[in-house]
Amino acid sequence: MSRQRKATPSARIGMLTYHALMLAISAVFLLPFYWMTISAFKTNAEIFSNPVTWLPDPIRWENMTSLLTREDFPFVQQFVNSVFYAGTVAVLVCLSCSLAAYSFGCLRWRGRNLVFGLTVCALLMPTIVTFLPIYLAWSKIGLTGTYWPLITPFLFGDAFFIFMLRQFFMGVPRELLDAARLDGASEFRIWWQIVMPQLRTPLIIVGLFATVYTWNEFFLPLIYLQDREAFPLSVGLFTFQSQRAVEWSVSMMGAFLTALPMVALFLLTQRLFQRGLSSTGLK
Amino acid sequence: MGMVQLSGVRKFYGALEVIKGIDLTVEPGELVVFVGPSGCGKSTLLRMIAGLEDVDYGRVEIASKDVTEAPPAQRGVAMVFQNYALYPHMTAFDNLAYGLRRAGLARNAVDKRVQETAALLQISDLLKRKPKAMSGGQRQRVAIGRAIVRKPEVFLFDEPLSNLDAALRVEMRSQIARLHQELAATMIFVTHDQVEAMTLADRIVVLNAGRVEQIGTPREVYHSPANLFVAGFIGSPAMNLLPATLGPSGVALVSGPVLGGHSGTGEAVTLGVRPDRLTLTSPESAHLSGEAKLIEHLGDETILHLALADGGALTIKLAGDVALTIGARVHARIDMVGASLFGADGRAMRLEGARETEA
Repeated sequence: MSRQRKATPSARIGMLTYHALMLAISAVFLLPFYWMTISAFKTNAEIFSNPVTWLPDPIRWENMTSLLTREDFPFVQQFVNSVFYAGTVAVLVCLSCSLAAYSFGCLRWRGRNLVFGLTVCALLMPTIVTFLPIYLAWSKIGLTGTYWPLITPFLFGDAFFIFMLRQFFMGVPRELLDAARLDGASEFRIWWQIVMPQLRTPLIIVGLFATVYTWNEFFLPLIYLQDREAFPLSVGLFTFQSQRAVEWSVSMMGAFLTALPMVALFLLTQRLFQRGLSSTGLK
Repeated sequence: MGMVQLSGVRKFYGALEVIKGIDLTVEPGELVVFVGPSGCGKSTLLRMIAGLEDVDYGRVEIASKDVTEAPPAQRGVAMVFQNYALYPHMTAFDNLAYGLRRAGLARNAVDKRVQETAALLQISDLLKRKPKAMSGGQRQRVAIGRAIVRKPEVFLFDEPLSNLDAALRVEMRSQIARLHQELAATMIFVTHDQVEAMTLADRIVVLNAGRVEQIGTPREVYHSPANLFVAGFIGSPAMNLLPATLGPSGVALVSGPVLGGHSGTGEAVTLGVRPDRLTLTSPESAHLSGEAKLIEHLGDETILHLALADGGALTIKLAGDVALTIGARVHARIDMVGASLFGADGRAMRLEGARETEA
C-alpha cells in the first residue's frame, strides 16, 4: 500500500497561500538587511537613485577602505572593543551562570526553589529601573568610562541564562554526582570536572546567546562609556550616524560589517541556536 | 573488612517518615541483601549508609567508627549504581583512577592498582575505552572495578543488575558472588529481584514501608516467614494465604476441611502454604477444590492458578508438564510440612507440631 496520496486542489491552494504568506513575512525582515547590504557597496547618489537599483553596479569596495581609514570613526578599535566586551561577557556568563545552575539544578538545599523563584523574578525587572542607583554606585567608585560596570555584573550570573542552564543541569543523572562524591570530589570539583564536560553543548549555546546579546547591547555602553575610542560598535555606529548623517554609504558599510560577524556566527551554529531556543520554551 | 552497624536510624522527607527506626548489624565479610517492594526505603537506607542521604535520627557505624556525620568519601564505602554512573567523558582507566587520585595516591600507585583491578575483572582491554564504546555488561564490570579499586571497608550495590538482560544478569550475579568470596568483603546489596536475593545473600533483610519485616538467611526467610508480608513477598509464585480458624481439633479452612496436628481456641488465623506444597488428588481426599483459570507450562514445571468456590485463589506448582485444560475441576491436598500459620496480627505462630505430621 505505497500509493502516494495526491493533494486535493483545496489542500494545494492552502499550501500555496501558506508559503506565499511565509515568504511575505520573511521579506519584511530580510528587506532592510538586504537594503543595508547593497547600500554598503553603493555611493550616496546610487543609494537614493530613482528608479531603485537592486544590485550595486559597480561594487564600491572603496567604501570599506574609506570606513577602515577614517579618523572620526575608529571602526577597527571599536570592533576590537566589541569582541572583547562580547567575548568576556560570554565566558563570564558561562562560568557564573553554570555555577548557579549547578546549585539550583544539582544540589538540594532548603529554600532552593524560593531563591530560584526570586532569581527568575529578576528577569521581569527592566534594566531601566535599576540602572540609576547602579550608575551612581559605579560613579562613586570612579569606574564609569571603563568596561568594569559593563562586565562585572556578569560575574554574578544572569537570570535568563541561569534559568536556561538549570534545565540542562537538572538532566544530569544524580548517580553521576553521587559517584563523584563517593570518589571524594568536592562540589566545586564535581561542577568543573564531572558536570561541565557533560554540558558542553548547552554551554556553547549560552555562550553564543550571550555573545549576540552583548554584541548588540546599546543602552548600557552608551550610558557608561564616554570616549569614542572605548565604544563598542553598537554605540560607535550610532554616534557616527548621528554625527555624519549624510554619509549613508560609509554608515551602511559600518552597519554591514557590524552585523556580519553575528550573521556568520548564526549561520555556523544555527542548529545550536534552535536547540537553545526550544530548550527555553522561547520557540 | 568492616562491620556496619545501624542503630535506630530514621529518615524524614518533610513530614513523611521513610525510614522508621532501623537497627541492623552487618558482620565483617557478610553479604547482606536488602529486599522489598518499590518505595520500601531499601535504596534510601543504602544511600544513608553511603552518606548520600542525611541520617535524621540514629547512628551509622562502619568498621567501629561513627560515620553518621562523615562525608561519603570518608566512610570507607564504595558503591555500584544501577545505571553504572560511569563518567561518560573519561576512559575506563580514568574512571577507575578518579577516586584514587582524589585520595592523593601517587601516579605509580594509581597505575598499579587500576591494572590489578582490571586484571581481576578481566577488563584490561577496556581501559582505554570510554563508556559509550562498551556494552552494558562491560560498563557494569568497570563500575564494579571502580568500587573495588578503592579497597573499601564496605561495598554497596544499588540494584546493579537491573539494567542488564537476563543472560548477562546471571553471569554478573555469579561474578559478584565470586568476588565476594575472593575479596572476603562486606557487601550490602539492594534488589527487588528475589532470585538475586536468595542466591547471593548470606542474610536477607526484608523491608516494607521503611521498617524491617525480617532478617534471616535465605532459607529462614523462605521457610519461616516472620509475618504475612514476608510470606507473601518472598517466593515466586507467592505463598498461598488461606483464611482459617484454629480450633481444638486443628486448623479449619473456611471451605470445611480440618488439618490437625495443633490446636487452639477458635481464633482466626491465616494458613500459609507454598505452591509446591500442594499436590493433585482425588475429590474424596482433597482439602481444596477449584477451577483452573490459568495454566503456565514452564517445561520442567507447571503452575496452576485456581479459583476456589469461596472466591479465593490458589496457586499450585507441579513438577513436570501436567496436561490440564483451563476450566478443569482440580482437587488439591495440602502438605502441612513447611506450612506456616499466622495469627490475627499477621505474625507467624509456632507450628512445631505441624512440621512433622500431617492430618
